[in-house]
Amino acid sequence: MNKFPLRLLLAAVALGGVLAATQLASTAAENPAVSPPPYQPAVRDKDGLLSASGLVEAVAENTLVGVPFAGLVADVPAKVSRAVKAGDPLLVLDTRELRPAAAAAVAAAERAEDVARRMQPLRGTGAVSESALNEAQFAAREARARADLAAAQLERATVRSPIDGTVLQVSVRPGEFVAAGGKAPVVVGDISRLQIRCDIDEQMAPRMREGLPAKGFLKGELAKPGAPDRSLPLRFVRIEPFVVPKTSLTGASAERVDTRVLQVIYQFDRPADRPVFVGQQMDVYIDTNPDAK
Amino acid sequence: MYRLALNMLFGDRAKLAMLLVGLSFSALLMAQQSSVFFGIMSWTYTPMVNIRASVWVSDREVEQVNDAKPMRDTDVTRVRSVDGVSWAAPLHSSIMQARLPNGNFKLISLVGIDSDTFAGAPAVLTVGRIEDLRLPNTVLIDEWGANLLGRAVTRPDGTVETVPLGVGDTFELNDTEARIVGVCRVKRAFTGGPFVYTTYDRAKAYTAGVRRTLSYVLVEPRPGVTPAELCDRIEAETGLRAWTSETDLWTWGERSLARSTFWWFWRNTGIPFSFGTAVLLGLFVGIAISGQTFYSFVLENLRYFAAIKAMGAGSGLLARMLLLQALAAGLLGFGLGVGMAQAIGRVMIEKGMPPFVLYPQVLVATLVLVLGISLCSALIGMVKVARVDPASVFRA
Repeated sequence: MNKFPLRLLLAAVALGGVLAATQLASTAAENPAVSPPPYQPAVRDKDGLLSASGLVEAVAENTLVGVPFAGLVADVPAKVSRAVKAGDPLLVLDTRELRPAAAAAVAAAERAEDVARRMQPLRGTGAVSESALNEAQFAAREARARADLAAAQLERATVRSPIDGTVLQVSVRPGEFVAAGGKAPVVVGDISRLQIRCDIDEQMAPRMREGLPAKGFLKGELAKPGAPDRSLPLRFVRIEPFVVPKTSLTGASAERVDTRVLQVIYQFDRPADRPVFVGQQMDVYIDTNPDAK
Repeated sequence: MYRLALNMLFGDRAKLAMLLVGLSFSALLMAQQSSVFFGIMSWTYTPMVNIRASVWVSDREVEQVNDAKPMRDTDVTRVRSVDGVSWAAPLHSSIMQARLPNGNFKLISLVGIDSDTFAGAPAVLTVGRIEDLRLPNTVLIDEWGANLLGRAVTRPDGTVETVPLGVGDTFELNDTEARIVGVCRVKRAFTGGPFVYTTYDRAKAYTAGVRRTLSYVLVEPRPGVTPAELCDRIEAETGLRAWTSETDLWTWGERSLARSTFWWFWRNTGIPFSFGTAVLLGLFVGIAISGQTFYSFVLENLRYFAAIKAMGAGSGLLARMLLLQALAAGLLGFGLGVGMAQAIGRVMIEKGMPPFVLYPQVLVATLVLVLGISLCSALIGMVKVARVDPASVFRA
């Protein structure tokens, strides 16, 4: 009789099945641990902070330099990132029409002045009447004014920097057509000191007060976990009194408005150890704790 | 005496085989069907497993993770302003059509992770580096998706082979190029499409025309704040909905988004009904076969039981003998059944289809049910044995 081996065999197979199933079941639990992100996020170190997203801009606010009239671009002396003084030429429009017009106006003025000058000695001789002399003199002054106007127009074709600063953006090249009142072809700004315009969601606006300290984390400034603190201390400048539609996140003109934001201006010194560029985004934490100074 | 009981059980091989087939088939059906059920249900909250963060913030109306209701971009800063938050990052999630180089279209799940910190990035990259996502028009694709979207290549000998997409291959999302710079290993999703990871900002570009692109905010609490506490604070201050992210079916908390997703699918699909029916079927088949077999086994051996009774054994001893027999058959049936179930499961896991998750709890429940079935059968036998007249052994 081989009953015993059968018993044993069945028991062994069954036991094997249970063990294998238990082993499989032990791998079933699925709760992967939460691991920190590959790069260090902007971490809050205390309570009572108000978060905002900000855009770095020059203190004087960037000047969007426009053209006085539409025309072809002849020359662009402005070079991006180069320092300019007030009065330095940034952009020259095509003057091929204006220059002969100015020359003609000067010639006309000279001719009228010449007529008036030659009439002057004849005054009182009866050769010219008083009224004819006056007319010639007025004509000469009018022609001179026209010449000045033409010269001014010629001068206006050269767009000059209104401030001492740096050329931040040039978006035209010689030969292109620029329209007056269109997108600013040249942007200049004083970037020796930077400020940051923070957008606070209107729903959190009531928590904002004058003079609160803040700190900012530049976007794109990557830090592996454990890297030293990369936050920049910010000084309060002012709260913009007018709540505006949010635009700062991408800066794209087609960005759709879905909320309004309170804008707050903060200032900071350029850090010595790393560059900061105008137009960079920043994650800002504003400290609303009562004892914050 | 107990040894005698086991000898009786193992002596009749035909009956034993019948009994074991019934019990093991029942165990197999219950364990295997429940595992496929839990496997499919575990697919429903796949994003919670792939994207790890302690707290997920969503729109008020969200019920399950696959159906995100878009929020405004500034909601990230609102969440960041809540006390107890350490950091918060935006996450985009949407289903899109990808246009493949061969002109075919496939649905994909686009995941946009925070551009700066890559919070939410897949844990395992088999090819490539996560940093390459900073290059223009780049995406990561999951291994399974790389195969699914692979292109058919005809070999010189005429055989057609599907070559999976790899680094450098491109496809189009919304007429914009998506260049693959890495392949990641993530869990497959219930919604079917492969996962395509890109940065949040680029996801906005890919979904051009969609007004709101923020699906979730991933949040980490500060030390000393539990995720559940943080959820309360976020909900109170922002009016959004905050969820915890545990994905383990047996330990997840009240506020887990995976839990909510699980029950949403439980309520809104036929999955639990279909698999519940199969499990019940297993139970009934087990009860029917093993009950009937055990009863006829007892009936056939009634003479021996009567003899044992005539030798002076009480009904209690007989009952215990029957119980031992039932227990032995039950344990053997259970072992054989779950052995087969796990073998099938391992093949399924190897193939990845259909999903199979064998929980220890399912094993225990199967054991209890199989023992229950065999004890039920023993009970029927016991009634018969208790009634047997010891004198009948002499009459035969």
